[in-house]
Order: sequence, then structure tokens, then C-alpha cells
Amino acid sequence: MKIGLEIHVQLPTESKMFCSCPTTDADAPNTHVCPICLGMPGTRPVMNRKAVECGIKLAKMLNCQIPDTMWFSRKTYFYPDMSKGVQVTQFDHAVGSKGVYHIGKKPIGITKIQIEEDPGKTKRFGDKSSLVDYNRAGMPLAEIVTDPDFSTPAEAREFLKQLITDIRRTIDLPGDGERSIRCDCNISVGIERCEVKNVSGLRNVERALTFEAIRQTKILKAGGKIERETRGFDEERGVTFSVRKKEYESDYGYIEEPDIGIFHIRELADSITIKESHVTMAARLSKEYGLDEKTANQMVLTSVGLAELFELIVKATGDVQMAVSWTRGTISANWKAFEASGKDPAGISEILVRFGKGEITDVETDMGIKSYMTGKDAKTVKEQNADLEHIIAEYLDAHPEIIDEMRKNDKTVNRVIGHAMKETGGKYSSSDIVSVTKRLLESKL
Amino acid sequence: MTDISRISALNEKYSIFARMADDPKTDSEFLFSAEDNLTSKDIETRCGSRILDGHRPVFDAYVIEKMKAYGGELIGKTNMDEFGAGSFCTNSSFGVPKNPFDMERSCGGAAGGSACAAAVIEDHISLAASTNGSICCPASFCGVFGLAPTYGRISKFGLVDCSNSIDKVGLISSDPKRIAEFLPVISGKDARDPTSCAQPPLELKGRKIKTVAVPKDALSNLSKDVASCFDSSLDALKGMGIEVDTVEMPSLKYAQPACTVIAAAEASTNLASYVGMRYGQQDGDLSLKFDDYFTSVRTEYFGEEVKKRIILGTFVRMGEARERYYMKSLKARHLVISCYKKVFEDHDAVLTPTMPIISPRFDEISMMTSAGSDQAGRLTAPPDLAGMPHISVPCGYSGNGMPIGMQMVTDHWNEDPLLTFANDWGSVFDIKRPEVTL
Repeated sequence: MKIGLEIHVQLPTESKMFCSCPTTDADAPNTHVCPICLGMPGTRPVMNRKAVECGIKLAKMLNCQIPDTMWFSRKTYFYPDMSKGVQVTQFDHAVGSKGVYHIGKKPIGITKIQIEEDPGKTKRFGDKSSLVDYNRAGMPLAEIVTDPDFSTPAEAREFLKQLITDIRRTIDLPGDGERSIRCDCNISVGIERCEVKNVSGLRNVERALTFEAIRQTKILKAGGKIERETRGFDEERGVTFSVRKKEYESDYGYIEEPDIGIFHIRELADSITIKESHVTMAARLSKEYGLDEKTANQMVLTSVGLAELFELIVKATGDVQMAVSWTRGTISANWKAFEASGKDPAGISEILVRFGKGEITDVETDMGIKSYMTGKDAKTVKEQNADLEHIIAEYLDAHPEIIDEMRKNDKTVNRVIGHAMKETGGKYSSSDIVSVTKRLLESKL
Repeated sequence: MTDISRISALNEKYSIFARMADDPKTDSEFLFSAEDNLTSKDIETRCGSRILDGHRPVFDAYVIEKMKAYGGELIGKTNMDEFGAGSFCTNSSFGVPKNPFDMERSCGGAAGGSACAAAVIEDHISLAASTNGSICCPASFCGVFGLAPTYGRISKFGLVDCSNSIDKVGLISSDPKRIAEFLPVISGKDARDPTSCAQPPLELKGRKIKTVAVPKDALSNLSKDVASCFDSSLDALKGMGIEVDTVEMPSLKYAQPACTVIAAAEASTNLASYVGMRYGQQDGDLSLKFDDYFTSVRTEYFGEEVKKRIILGTFVRMGEARERYYMKSLKARHLVISCYKKVFEDHDAVLTPTMPIISPRFDEISMMTSAGSDQAGRLTAPPDLAGMPHISVPCGYSGNGMPIGMQMVTDHWNEDPLLTFANDWGSVFDIKRPEVTL
């Protein structure tokens, strides 16, 4: 089985790709439009530089080759929501090509990444009439085309999950509203392939691909032939259906887009550095600080900010072990509240520096960090801490066998968590409980 | 007779305009006209096509905006071949302009109305677009001056494109001084058209042409009148102290077919936007499926020559034909450009007759094939395809009194010597104006 994906990402620009219409959600249909995105005769596109920059960033993220010059092409097909009758896209000189992206150890080839404009939207009413909304017309998109390198629908899903996280981070894509990520899925069980267009959501991608795999296998088993075609996906029923018969790239009659010219992007591409992806960052953390892979992944997946704070603490204190233990414990337990507060992470590392120098005890440090991160005053934190500590200490005193077991098996801590949760009515997070338990354990040594 | 009423009478007689201004100001500093493919807020813009019936753009083209700001009043939108498809301005849905030297003959195309206006209206300047000789051909047939500047010299914001990689906006007038006056007005960078943003400044300093190259191939297959007028013009040039050399420019012969292929390919994508939605004619049967609706509107309102170009232009960019025709034509364009560049190493300009024939009669045109009329553009296609500035100046008259023009081409961005030459030539050559009786 061969599976390849085409992923469409709306680029987070403030204005559309070729005009100054806003990209925010509109209050009513056809209000975020102008003569340019409506394709009125005599208008011409002017390229949004930010869209080019986003394209370059994604090309870098996907380890693509970036050419010295790129240009755009016109793809022609007739559709009511295509205001110009042509779509401006990239055909043979795209912003990136021949990239590679890893899921785990498996490399997935990236055929190319291209920048293009989105058409409008057609809304059907009953079975007779349709209305077109051009608010979306001219929104900038990046289309990422993979080689047919996936061997199962689950693998395609795993890839997408990781890719989306990386894309969001690389181009600061907010994870909300209309800025969804759409996917065309190509799959062949035998020789000829089918394309399932416009599937949105990870789960649906896997469902659509699984359905297609079974459908094609059945046809082949029965001695039938798969015809190359474009199919749609019915989310409710979980089935794909035929939309139109085969289409090849050469049927679109691409010509070079003459209005926006050739872009010399070498200098721009060289000047752009991208943020590290989650995968790369996790790999680097484990290599640089000797963390085990699981810890590194967990840290990065909780939040890149958390991982960055970890690095900051190591830098300030020079003590990796201590940084790991506090980052995994008290700091990650209070991370959500801290992230929302927008406070400077340096405040946390300063507390730990004092702890490292022996100026404050671990209990004081714990309270100091909590108070700083949550904004609650020290007294409240102290009371809460004392409360939790008291419950756990009593429990451990009553069950001394647990202490021994815990030294052999990490998972025994779950019993403490269970008990404390019950006693406090779920007032404390499990990581809070774990950090207090660990501290108490250490003090008992 | 006031200026305006006289122009109305001229329009009546010669079919100059697709649409005249309803109520033009009479106190403006000057009147100008614009080909109907330049958008105008106040006057319908239809590009000679019924499919744009009723289309009133919401913005003025850059050039019209500039002319108005300079004190001009747009008097009307001139007749043109539908979306530029044609060589004789006979493919217009809103009247075929008649040649003021002989009403039975063509004004040339595509911008026939603009050249006609320049020939019969006193002191007139007309804006037009040039794709495949569409300024020089009519200028030559109507005995006036027509300048197509370097590709990218003038913003095309508001030009309804025919072939975007070739189109340029230019000027037609009976007086070369008018062209020199207005070129700086409408030139310059405009952020709304990226192709205008790479230009060096326009400097009109009166630089002169000292050496001229005449490509040998251009001298074959000329009509007798054209050949003899061009010969005497070369003598006149020598008399002005200009050195004239005959040179080989073999690659120029690829220009006309390449220009036809690229223009058709690009035009067919531009024309894809006219489907009876959003603007223009929208009176199709809405109960049809969308593609049937599109087809019905396009079948009804596009003219025959436009349909031919859509079919040709679609063919040359699809499947295997793409490589063989479209991509090959793009390469041919580079050949033509380098061919010119080489000659410009030791010559200031390339000179040929503008058209190999004098303006044909309408009955002759109706017998021509599309390929035959394209062939008439074999001398105007090379500079247009190469994006080089070129000007057509009147250089003689045939036995039956029809004007003949010659076309001078300079290197990219060198409009200055062309205008100097046109001006100097105006004082050497005795220009005849058509006799106009109303």
C-alpha cells in the first residue's frame, strides 16, 4: 500500500496573498473582498512578502532545497468560486523541493512545497441553488506534497500530528477557527491511485484512508480494476465517494504567471532562521544534557517554553540533575497558570540559583516557585503545601511498606496519588503530589 | 462647432469610439481618449466584447488617473479588436473604425480606434495597449506616430490584459511632441503593478540616433509601395547624418509565431474569468449546471476570433503540446532578445517598415485567414515580444495616397532617442493629414 499526502496550510498573514483585504474571520459573506481578490478586469496581484517568508520557513523546516529564484504559475480550471478563472500557484519552480521529514526513524520524502492562493467557497442550498462567498478568495496557502512513503493510514496520521505541531511552531500558526489544515490523501493498493480531496482533521484522514484501502482491496480481490479518480469523504458516514474521473497535472495547462515576476529569494532564505522543531529540540536536549529520550520528549511536548526554561536553569545553576527534578516536578505542575500569566521565566531560575547556593531550603524553594508561577501569595501556598504534605506524610507513616516498594518501583507512587486525590477532592494535581512525595521520601532517607 | 460636437460628428463618420463620455467637461486643459481595454470609472469598459456589456469598473486605470490629474478629460473609449484578437480592428462588437485616408480600408489593429482618433481629431493624444504590433500597426495605417515603450515602463494597473508578459501601454498622436510630453506623465513605478517597479528613471535628454541597423530579412516580401517608400526614407536618414547598415538578424523570424503562441496561451487564461458571473453579461439560464452556464454565456457573447484564440491558447499549454509550443516560444523570446542585444552593441536602433503592406480594404480582410492576418504582423512582433521600445513614424504614401510607416526599435529603457528621432523626422518628412469633411 502506498500513501501520499498533500497538506494545505493557511499562512498566518494579516492581509491576503495579493491584496490588502484582511484575513480575519468576516462578519458576513463577501465583505472581505476587493477588485483584486474578486478578479475584476484590469487588476493585478501584488505579492505579500510575509507569505513568501512563511513558505521559506516551512521549506526549511522540511529540509527542502530552496532555489535561488522561484516564480508562480497559473493553473486553469473553471469553477464558480475561482474568481479569476485561474489559480495562482507554483508548478515547476516552487519555494522548496526534495525535502525530508522524519517520523521516528522513518524518513518521509517531501516532493515539494508551494505557495498558492485559496479560492472562495461555494455554499449549496437544497439541491437547486448555490451562493459563492469570496471572503476566502486569495488567502495565502502553503501546499506540502509528500512522496508516497506511508505504508499505513496510522502512519499517515502520526506524520500529520507531528507535522502540524511543527508547522504551528515554525510559522506561529494559531490553532483556531478557520485556520484549519486540510489534506488531500492519495492512496493506491494496486497500481492506479485515488485521491480523496479536502479531508480535515487527523482522525478523518486515517478514517478516509482506511476506508479507501479496504475498498480498493475488495475491488482488486474481486478481479476488478481501480480507476484513477478524485473522491470525496463523507465524515458522517465514514465513506469515500467518487467526485470526478482522472485528472493529470498536464490537464491544467499551466503557464508562468506573468504579473508578479521572478523572485530572487536566496538572500532572504539565508537571512531566515527557523525555530527548532519539537523533534529536533527533544533530540538535542537528550544529547546535550544526557536526558533519556522519554524525559526530553515529555518536556518539549508539555511546552517548548518549559524546555527553554529547563535550559535556562541549567545555564544559571550548572546542575542538570537539579534542573530536571524541579522542571519535571513543581515547575511543570504549575506550568499552565504560569504560561497564561506571561511572567518572565528568569524569576524561576533566580529562585533555583539561591537554592543551589544553599540560601534557601527545598521547602522554601518549592513555595517560592509556586508563588511566583501562580501569583498566589506565599502564605496561601504555604498553607496548601502544608495541607498536602500533612496528608501524604500521614499516609506514608501509616503504610511504611509503600516507601520500600517505591524505591524499587516508580509506579507505586500512584497509590499515594490515589489517596491524596481522594482526601483532597482532587484539589492538587498529580505532579504536585508526586513532587511532595519525592521530597518527603528523600527526607526520610 | 465646439470641440465636443465636432468629435461626435467625427465619431459618427469614422466609428472611432466604443463609447463616448456622456457629458465631458469642456473647460479641461486637453482632451484624450483611451482604448477600451483601459478601465475607466465614468465610461463603460468592454474591450470590444459583448461579454462585458454593462461593465462599469470601480477604478480608473493608472494611466487614465495620471492623465486626468494632469488636467485631461477622457473623451471616449476607442474601438478595438475584441480583447485584442485581430490585426485590423474588424473584430469589434461596437463598430469598425474606418481609415480616414480611405473609408473602405482598415485603421489597423488592435487599437484601430485610437489611431483613427489621433489622425482626425486636432491635437489629440490617445492611450492604447501594444501586444503584437497593436499600436504600431494602426499608427502606420493611419499615418500617425505610435509609441510602445519598454515593457514595464508604464503601470498596467487597469489594463484588461490580453497577454500579460507582452502587453504594454503606449501613446498614439499625430504630433511626436505630444507623445514626448505625455510619456513622462504616465511613466513611473506603481506599487499596484509589480512589473512597473523595476524600471530605471525615464530621462528625456534629446539623445540622438547615430547608427541604424536594417535587418535584411525585413526587406523581402514587401509590397512595392512599402519597399520604395522605405528606400527613400533610408536616403533621407542618411541625409540627416545617420549611418545605415544592413545586418543579419535571423532569429527575428521566430518572433511572430512565438508571439502568437504566448499571446494566445496567456489570453486564454485571462479570458477564463469571463463566465457571466460578477460583472458584464449575466443573463444566462441560472438553472443550468455551472459549467453549462459558463459555456452558454461564453458561446453567446465571445466573437469568433476570440474563440479561435481560446482554443489555440488552451491547446498550446496542455499535455504534450505545452513543451512543444508554449515552452518553446518562451525560449524563442530569449533568442529574439539576444539577437537585438547583439545588434545594439554597435547600433543605436533597428529600423524596418512597420507593416509589409498598406492598409487592406475590408473586402480583402474578409478573405484572409487568421494565419494570413497574423503574418502581416511579422515586423511588429519582434520588438513587442522582446519588450523593447518601438515607435512607428509615417514615412511615405502609396500611389493611392495610403500612409506607410516605419518602425524604429531601441534597447530596453531607451525611449529617449526614439522620441528625439520622431521629433527630428517630423521636421524632415512632410506629413500629410487626411482630408476630413463633415
